[in-house]
Amino acid sequence: MYKIIEHTADVGIEAHGKTLEEAFEEAAKGMFAIITDGSKIEGKVKRKIEIPFDRDEEILLVDWLNELLYIHDVEGLVFGEFDVKINDKLVGYAYGEKYDRQKHGYGMDIKAVTYHMLEIKRNKKGVTIKVLFDI
Amino acid sequence: MWSGPLNKIGEYRYEIPKTYRGINGNLKMRVPALIYASEEMLPAIRKDNAPKQAANVATLPGIVGRSLAMPDIHWGYGFPIGGVAATDAEEGVISPGGVGFDINCGVRLVRTNLKIGDLDRNKIRQLVDELFKNIPSGVGSQAKVRLNRAQLDDVLQMGARWAVENGYGWEEDLEYLEENGCMEIADASYVSEKAKERGKSQVGSLGAGNHFLEIQRVAEIFDENAAKIYGVEKDQIVVMIHTGSRGCGHQICSDYLRVLEQAVRKYNISLPDRQLACAPVKSKEGESYFKAMACAANFAWANRQMIVHWVRQSFENVLGRDAEELGMHIVYDVCHNIAKVEEHVVDGKKMLLYVHRKGATRSFGPGRKEIPKKYQQVGQPVLIPGDMGTESYLLRGTNESEEAFGSTCHGAGRVMSRHQAKRRWNGREIARMLEQRGIYAHPASWSVMAEESPDAYKDVSQVVNVTHGAGLSLKVAKMVPLGVVKG
Repeated sequence: MYKIIEHTADVGIEAHGKTLEEAFEEAAKGMFAIITDGSKIEGKVKRKIEIPFDRDEEILLVDWLNELLYIHDVEGLVFGEFDVKINDKLVGYAYGEKYDRQKHGYGMDIKAVTYHMLEIKRNKKGVTIKVLFDI
Repeated sequence: MWSGPLNKIGEYRYEIPKTYRGINGNLKMRVPALIYASEEMLPAIRKDNAPKQAANVATLPGIVGRSLAMPDIHWGYGFPIGGVAATDAEEGVISPGGVGFDINCGVRLVRTNLKIGDLDRNKIRQLVDELFKNIPSGVGSQAKVRLNRAQLDDVLQMGARWAVENGYGWEEDLEYLEENGCMEIADASYVSEKAKERGKSQVGSLGAGNHFLEIQRVAEIFDENAAKIYGVEKDQIVVMIHTGSRGCGHQICSDYLRVLEQAVRKYNISLPDRQLACAPVKSKEGESYFKAMACAANFAWANRQMIVHWVRQSFENVLGRDAEELGMHIVYDVCHNIAKVEEHVVDGKKMLLYVHRKGATRSFGPGRKEIPKKYQQVGQPVLIPGDMGTESYLLRGTNESEEAFGSTCHGAGRVMSRHQAKRRWNGREIARMLEQRGIYAHPASWSVMAEESPDAYKDVSQVVNVTHGAGLSLKVAKMVPLGVVKG
């Protein structure tokens, strides 16, 4: 579950999951919902992403989302489904397809993921992430 | 809502004193902060919390003079947008947050010898459509040229010169770009594989968001002498380009934010906000960032240079005349997201400084060696893009701007989030509204039209009037759009 949050010049995501992994998956879904304006993305291709967990969870989250942005930018792919496992490193799978303006519409071009007001909070219901993007 | 002190210390000048301790009472400002604004702007500025960020910036090690904010100040990441900070080139720090993700986002103005009477609405429509066809724009826009790695390294190190040497534009163009379109300190070996991969397919593309290309009419001249020297006159047709370093620059900023985040601990720097991550200018981390940042800056100059080439070609195709014959010379090219080493006078003493301008434009006055010979008498041209449907300004730099390390504003500054704008307006309606005002827009999508709706911004004329009143930059000409290509 995620929702889009706003900031004068920018936009972000509040993502919730039962586990940290799920919250990471939801944050990624939210990010592509911003890029594609919430349109349906089919899982035609798969990409594997590995990121060392050498610092804290916040940096891991920024690295994860930045990696997806990188693939989006270089390969022109958009993703709609994710499968994340976090142990001593993050191993994630992203499922998506080529971005097509006709099919996916157009949301916003996200330049980067920021550390600004970044939050990963735990409560009884699970994990909530707040992250802002530079657009 | 920020309720700290904003003491009026002069016309259009509001200071946060060094004694301010912040909301939690533990902020340690090393210098005061100064916000340039008019009385009417203050409530909006307070509401946005941006003064808090200007105060936070004042805690950076080695900051000199004041932490400054231009009248188009708004809440950013770490640094406010519209922020200027100068740090000592020996003992100061350098911060990617003081530059921004879109390194060397900037503006270029190209003049023509066409007058408004030479183009009817139909011709303007043809020109806009031709520009849209020749210059890739929008989300994920890929350039028409795909570079190999060796070529990309050359772009990163040579900037606009690479483009000119490869047939994109004229030799004389380089003279009219800030830094002549190249920061020499650039070293491509400090740029990650990822940044290079993103750069390969994006040099020569406009991108999305607030970036644009406009055909404009010079609507008003405020300073005849300076306008003449800049080659600008009333009712002339000019072209404005607003774009930056695309994914390449974003990646470089992201890469180094991570590196400098670690450096903060290594060098034991205490910061009120993680996004202010920085490193001493003489440290390995600080030097590496600066060399990589310069590569992104060079990428942006090459990018705008290639776009100018295609703008000239588009005019040639539609009007059937040579670009030379059409007088399509560059007036100037400015960057408004950058850090540079410059000499300034602080407390009567000449100092070498790292001047960070994040959403602020250099505004050097007459006599500065960095500006073109032709402009020595009047100061450098300062280009302030407005927003779609309103107006843009050509200003001139002043020696009074030295108070702000030779800086002025950069644009209108958002007052509403893009999302709010999108919900409030429908892109097609905005296009119709612009059409009624005689402006033809060709956006990459309708939603970007709504996001970039004029009412989402502070009034650019208000911003420019404050910098004029404060003496940071003086009005030369006002331009209004006739045709818009949106990313």
